[in-house]
Amino acid sequence: MESALAQLEQSGLAVWIRESGVLYGYPLILFLHTLGLSTVVGISSAIDLRLLGFASSIPLASLEKTFGLVWAGLALTAATGVLLFIADATKHASNPAFYVKLLFVALAVVTLASVRRRVFRGQQRGTLAAAASLASWFVALSAGRLMAYVSEFVS
Amino acid sequence: MNLAHLHLLLNHVPTVGYGFGIAFCVAALLRNSEDLKRASFVVFFAVALAAIPAYLTGNAAHFVLQNEAGISQEVIAAHQNAAMLALIPMEITGLVAWMALWRFRAWTVPAVLALSTVTFALMARAATIGGQVRHPEIMAAGGSAYAPTWPSPAAVGAQFVLDNPWVWPICEVFHFVGLCLLFGVVLLVNLRMLGVVDGVPLADVNRLLPWGIAGLGINIVTGFLFFLASPDQYTQNAAFAWKIGLMSLGGLTLLYPTMFDEEPASAGDVMHAPGTRKTIAAASIAIWIGVIFLGRFLPYIGSE
Repeated sequence: MESALAQLEQSGLAVWIRESGVLYGYPLILFLHTLGLSTVVGISSAIDLRLLGFASSIPLASLEKTFGLVWAGLALTAATGVLLFIADATKHASNPAFYVKLLFVALAVVTLASVRRRVFRGQQRGTLAAAASLASWFVALSAGRLMAYVSEFVS
Repeated sequence: MNLAHLHLLLNHVPTVGYGFGIAFCVAALLRNSEDLKRASFVVFFAVALAAIPAYLTGNAAHFVLQNEAGISQEVIAAHQNAAMLALIPMEITGLVAWMALWRFRAWTVPAVLALSTVTFALMARAATIGGQVRHPEIMAAGGSAYAPTWPSPAAVGAQFVLDNPWVWPICEVFHFVGLCLLFGVVLLVNLRMLGVVDGVPLADVNRLLPWGIAGLGINIVTGFLFFLASPDQYTQNAAFAWKIGLMSLGGLTLLYPTMFDEEPASAGDVMHAPGTRKTIAAASIAIWIGVIFLGRFLPYIGSE
């Protein structure tokens, strides 16, 4: 496992992202990661707030159109996330905050998918799911943002 | 032109703006005019946005002047201190004015008038001390009279961040929370204006706007804590200057959806016509993406 990660980290692409120093390398990937995540978390949070009773006059059906954008944002975040991971594979793989982040992103995405399946079909009110979604995004954001500090701490 | 020149330009915006804002507000009360009320709220919100680059370029001007002969560092410190004491109520006034534009409540007019009057007095004090940086002829009793005696929120904020190593990371987390809230609402409201999201009246989707404003507020506060703890890192960075400029512009676009709740009634209504609305909506999304871009690229571009 260790050696596989190290190999990944030494691949041409990983070295280029990490060390090329060009603006369309690491900085651009980081920006696209932020753009994707703020789209996903932002729209998902707005849907959660609507389910929690704010702006409750917005018909849920009208928000369903935004799911395309949410999934596109998620794809962008995931793809750029993979690139950022391979650039520093061994560092991230030994960082507990990274696993916390992945876990809570997974929880939030599963919650969002179930909200669309159940709540948007009128089967549930979705208050609990909305609260869980907001909490999951908050933990995922915090863990992601604190990764740099945790990695300094564990090494 | 450098940022010190820009400061000399921008620092007049709050003074002149507040003159108009307070005049509109008083006239609105005397004549009970809905339009004047809204005009004064728009002015106070716009000034709250312009005051941020005005304050930040002041730090850049300080950097330029720090080794200049004939400039009193005490006067600059007192001016900076007074400016922060005026900036805080100015941002609060802008927030209340925005809330009043979004959903009008009767108490907001006297509240905005009272807040803006206090702010105006504090701002006049900051401006007077600031004038003495370059005009020693109006200096009352020598520079030493301006040793900072009033409490300095900027110094307290900087110390808070520097003394507690956990504050910076926590602020980074909340800067992202604010960013997501703001960007999510910006996307939904503007996609509605562009017609991508439909089947929902504008008035309903506009009910989400305060969450975007809350996000903006969180980011102004956390952003200021970053800046106060490490001002030279930011004043010497061109990407940061552009980011703040775009942010003020992006803030102004948050005003636009408060100006109407329904589809334009008449074809001649240029301000609310579909073309105008779609242009502003697309610009708003683009501007905020630009702000995120510059924020992310800040460590890589902009500094020498």
